[in-house]
Amino acid sequence: MDTSSAGIQEPFDLIRLSLNERVFVKLRGDRELTGVLHAYDGHMNLIMSAVEETIMVVEPVEGAPHSQGSVNYVKRKMEMLFVRGDGVILVSPPSRT
Amino acid sequence: MDDDSTPPPPANDAPAPPPPALNSGSPTDFLKGVVGKRVVVRLTSGVDYRGVLSCLDGYMNIALEQTEEHVNGRVINRYGDAFIRGNNVLYISAAEAI
Repeated sequence: MDTSSAGIQEPFDLIRLSLNERVFVKLRGDRELTGVLHAYDGHMNLIMSAVEETIMVVEPVEGAPHSQGSVNYVKRKMEMLFVRGDGVILVSPPSRT
Repeated sequence: MDDDSTPPPPANDAPAPPPPALNSGSPTDFLKGVVGKRVVVRLTSGVDYRGVLSCLDGYMNIALEQTEEHVNGRVINRYGDAFIRGNNVLYISAAEAI
């Protein structure tokens, strides 16, 4: 009766199964994180380590419509990070194939 | 103030239409019905996630499988599994027959 995924009853199970794994996190403000997930709570506050943050910055190009600026990616690394839950849009665990 | 002799609504002898046989049920029934089915989840940002709905909770947090991230009609990312925080959800649309 189980669906294809192993024992997921509620969405947070997906996060629980990702503890101590490298996860991808999409945040508000065109930011993305990859890092090892150490802890989370019901707000989706996260504790992550060995984090790389990617920030998408759209630079306006002169003469081009402002929706077509060139996109720059700024990266930075952090050893240990607390992420406030309300900034989280999506969390993707490593593929469980 | 209207006078008391307000006429009844225009003559319409047909009884009140029965609720449609299809498309009935509460929002909760809909959500129960789409678990395990292909859905489109649109976020308030306009980004669409297409995938198989594996489960959801009362906050509308969503677990999706075989997820494709669509922006402006283009696939820009794929995730094997994805947890979507419920506050970002605008709607969930069934992408196959329930």
